[in-house]
Amino acid sequence: MTTLKTLHILNKPPEHRRYVLCLDAIGPDDGLLLTENGVLAVSQALKVAGARCFVLAPDLDARGLAGQIGGNQRVSFDDMVELAASSASVISW
Amino acid sequence: MSTLIIIDQSPYGSWEGREALDMAFSLAAFDQPVSLMFCGAGVNWLRQGQDAAEVEQKSVERNLAAAPIFGVDALLADRSACGQYGLTETDLPDHVSVTDFDRDLTGRFDHVAFAG
Repeated sequence: MTTLKTLHILNKPPEHRRYVLCLDAIGPDDGLLLTENGVLAVSQALKVAGARCFVLAPDLDARGLAGQIGGNQRVSFDDMVELAASSASVISW
Repeated sequence: MSTLIIIDQSPYGSWEGREALDMAFSLAAFDQPVSLMFCGAGVNWLRQGQDAAEVEQKSVERNLAAAPIFGVDALLADRSACGQYGLTETDLPDHVSVTDFDRDLTGRFDHVAFAG
């Protein structure tokens, strides 16, 4: 997996204040990991998408959104640990 | 490894802020570098003269006064949120610094975690 400067872990739905703050804070070398209710964002246009947008599969599947992941990356719990460990810093929104 | 814990929820309405405070104090007690920042409605934690007796809670003002004793590196308050809630620098406790919440700030920490 690509080494990221900052991994932004977002577990808030698009209506949440921190959702907007998070998307504004994402820099060019950063990645976004959607977890819990954050996965609801896959049904919207995201500033960060494709190779730098990761979606936690169990949370996505639980919400019936598996078919809407688009070009974003499905990740397992193990992948999530690897992503967090390999990023220079982590922000949990 | 340095950690910034951010409280963006107002005091007394929920337990998330107090849990975050416990987390910060625990890190500090084990000599892990930690700072606390107050953003959004969270700046109301910093108001002086809180009296929570009638809501049967300990005032968060008193809880926060213990931060330097535990060894929390810095207490930070978001400038724009202070303005929004009518708090000037002189209204804040002495050990609180006013700063902007931006990428420069978060870039100074290995881990940044919001409360709740």
